[in-house]
Amino acid sequence: MSEAAKAEGQAKPAEEPKLSPAELKKRAKAEKQARRAAQKDQQGGAGEAPAVNGRREEDRGQKQQDQKPKDGQQKGQQPQQQQKQAKQTAQSDGKHERSGSQHQNMPVRPKSVQPSEAKEQRETKQVELFSHLCTQPRRQDITGAHKDVHPTVAATGFQMSNYDICGSSARCVAMLLAFKEVIQAYALPKGKAFAMHFTPHYLSPQIDFLKSCRPISESMGNAIRYLKKIIGELDPDMQEQKVKEYLCEEIDRFIHERITVTDQAIAELASGQIKNGSVVLTYAKSAIVEKTILQAHAQGAQFRVIVVDSRPLFEGKQLAISLMTAGLDVEYLPFSGLAHAVKEATLLLLGAHSMLSNGRLQSRIGTASVAMQAHKAHIPVIVCCESVKFSGKVALDSIVLNEVAPSEELLLQKPTATMQPPSDQKANDDEEDEGKLRSLHDWKEIRGLQILNLMYDVTPAEYIRMVICEYGNVPPSSVPAVHRLANEGM
Amino acid sequence: MPTSKVGTTPSLPNFLKSLKHNDIETSIEAFISLLKRRLVRGSRPCAIATVNLLLRVVGEERIKDAHKLIERIRDVGRRLVAAQPREMAVGNVVRRVLEVVRERAEADQDAAAGSEGSTTSPTTPTELTPSSGAHALPKDLQIRAHGSAHGEKPTSNGVSDATAQRPALASTNTSYAGQAPSATSLFSILQHPTTASGGRSPYATPPGDNQSASSKSSSRRGEEAADAKGGEKLDIKAEVITGIIELQNELEDVDDEIASYALDHIHSNEIVLTHTSSQTVQKFLMTAARKRKFTVVHAEAYPNDHEATHATIVNGGRKGGDEDALGAGGDERWKPLTSMGITVILIPDSAVFALMSRINKVILAPHTVLANGSLLAGAGASTIALAAKTHHVPVVVLSGVYKLSPVYPFDTDELIEYGDPVKVVGFEEGRLVQGVDVVNPAYDWVDSDFVDLYITNLGAHAPSYLYRIIADHYRKEDTVLT
Repeated sequence: MSEAAKAEGQAKPAEEPKLSPAELKKRAKAEKQARRAAQKDQQGGAGEAPAVNGRREEDRGQKQQDQKPKDGQQKGQQPQQQQKQAKQTAQSDGKHERSGSQHQNMPVRPKSVQPSEAKEQRETKQVELFSHLCTQPRRQDITGAHKDVHPTVAATGFQMSNYDICGSSARCVAMLLAFKEVIQAYALPKGKAFAMHFTPHYLSPQIDFLKSCRPISESMGNAIRYLKKIIGELDPDMQEQKVKEYLCEEIDRFIHERITVTDQAIAELASGQIKNGSVVLTYAKSAIVEKTILQAHAQGAQFRVIVVDSRPLFEGKQLAISLMTAGLDVEYLPFSGLAHAVKEATLLLLGAHSMLSNGRLQSRIGTASVAMQAHKAHIPVIVCCESVKFSGKVALDSIVLNEVAPSEELLLQKPTATMQPPSDQKANDDEEDEGKLRSLHDWKEIRGLQILNLMYDVTPAEYIRMVICEYGNVPPSSVPAVHRLANEGM
Repeated sequence: MPTSKVGTTPSLPNFLKSLKHNDIETSIEAFISLLKRRLVRGSRPCAIATVNLLLRVVGEERIKDAHKLIERIRDVGRRLVAAQPREMAVGNVVRRVLEVVRERAEADQDAAAGSEGSTTSPTTPTELTPSSGAHALPKDLQIRAHGSAHGEKPTSNGVSDATAQRPALASTNTSYAGQAPSATSLFSILQHPTTASGGRSPYATPPGDNQSASSKSSSRRGEEAADAKGGEKLDIKAEVITGIIELQNELEDVDDEIASYALDHIHSNEIVLTHTSSQTVQKFLMTAARKRKFTVVHAEAYPNDHEATHATIVNGGRKGGDEDALGAGGDERWKPLTSMGITVILIPDSAVFALMSRINKVILAPHTVLANGSLLAGAGASTIALAAKTHHVPVVVLSGVYKLSPVYPFDTDELIEYGDPVKVVGFEEGRLVQGVDVVNPAYDWVDSDFVDLYITNLGAHAPSYLYRIIADHYRKEDTVLT
């Protein structure tokens, strides 16, 4: 699938010529107008539709007005949705302009209301508590993407949304590698400074595209911040080719220093915690925990590993296979077996999505429960985390900062004749007479049924005994200090 | 839950149907095999099957005095519990029935003692030894082993057993021993309507004929001894049967009774978290949903119960097999909560901690409640309860009294059952199956500290009060059945 996307991505920028600065300016203006119009629409309704947007805009406003009574609770969703619509229309407008037409009026197609209606229905499926996180579905194709999105970035984005590339560090590395290609493919327009043009006009659309595939992780954010910083500090006299070389070298250095070598250092440090006779409990899959365990195994420690795993990603299965292949004694439990797992464990090793500034750990959903159970069983909870994942953000619960994955991931495979348990069989037989047995796959048709598939949760700092990063073993309270040292001073 | 309707399939509904025409030994054996093969699982089906079986046992047996009846029930109970010790509902129901018998016997005894003084010289109490109970099992097993052939051994054993039991009998029923109504009238009165077909079986013991002479004579003596006394004791068996039928009704109505407390506990706009596909919890929430709007967060209990949970959420549910037993035919089903305008949010078990800060109440359905107020529930319950405790969210446990077990959890590990690992890692993942220990615990033990409230069919109680309810329903002497 990503191959096709890649091809598509490649085709798209090729057929679109570069915009002149004047055109770009015009487009930005149109975009702004559209946004403003949309906002006014939202507030004022039909009557106050701005004159610039003409009659059609008014029509649209009217239609939305009609819809309003229906939305009710989803009101909060509307502005963003409209904004997006407006953006799309603005983009198409931009294309129109390029093809010669110089209309001030935005050619808003009446049919653009249709998708909004479809979306509205979808939104009743959103869990209200998390509606701030469900702003838009993950991008699955290139439609509507910025024309400059580099094919490698597109491919990387799709791999991320499919979990082919999964894990905070892996995504960060993949992004940086894609950016290297982006930098190489970039052509500096005449009369522009690299730093002034590249970041806002070329890099930003790439980042936006990645964001639309899956919200970016803290490590990616830190890497982007770093990249922007070194671009901003570029010597303006440096030649374009030199700049590119320098940036690529810097990216390589970043990956090497902040991730590759760091991982080794952390694995070295953390493997010291695994002693002979230890029973290491771990949850889902973390590259760095895997490395730590393998390292301890290579150093000759005799220990056992318990892998606890959860739906829907089953990342722990990969970890179990990898450790099993290395010759370790592995026990694998579903999430429900957690209470059983902590009984035997002597050490809990966790990976991180991000370490928050208040010492809390943001990691794969379920980590908090594992840490809680381990804490209750008086098992040390150790987090292995590169400093690139340390964040300046804080969170008190798992609701504000989170990511909602598509609910469809939680559906079981469509039951086939062989897989179906006998109980369902009978239910089926009975129901077929009545003709109304539904499965969870029909969840969208069932009013009031919602499926929530969160990606992360936040583990309270008091459960965490130690955080192992490349600066050493620190308590969770030292996270902001390390963050300042590592990410803000770079 | 086994649900196939094919007549030969061993399953709960078929077992309950076959109870009517099979004789007792066959039925007991059938139930034991169902338990052993885990074709009947879960507290409710086990309790229903047990109570029906015991009803038959009591109805069929030609046992005329309470003590023998108790021994007989204990004997059957022992075998059932041994077949599946972790289905504690079986033992609980056996104990309840024993309690019924003891209670009736005592009432009888009191009445008799009140009306007339003790006329017979009672045997010394020291003769009432538990050894008589120990004798019952081997005797029974041997009789079964020898079948209708009635070899020497069972005969002699029967003699020794009868003699061993007789003094004990006399000592417990001192007041009326030696004076009881005639044996014939007892037979005619106590005969259960369904016993007409009993004679078919080789294991059944029809009155008089194929019993060995000595044991017959010994039992005759007992009967004759009982003959002389008044008519009030005559009904003991009928009373016991009434008691068991009451128990049967209690099992049927338990959900409705628990649900009737729903409005006392669920307020409007509440967010309630529940776990597994419990019928009791669904009924409870449905009752509340008739009056109030709230949100239900449902953890799916992967991998042991998630399919049933999904089905419950989507389609509602049906009342389990007991309907078939009563021949009522159509099963009572109920609609899903969503049809009542309740928002149901399905989450994987891992999301419980993340959401717990917004949950107002956790409702759990136990598998068994133990003597100290702790409980066994579907795997994952311990994590949920702990997360609730961490967030100071009240945990409410809905449990029928039949789930209360007098067993004290000295070793919680031994109470936990392990499920099928294939549910965790299917055979399509050959490498994992081959090289990794896959463990699938079916139940979690939750300490009483984590439970804030128990709601039983008798009302709501603090966990610390459960021991009283247990004491009310079971006799101390029945706590250990084996």
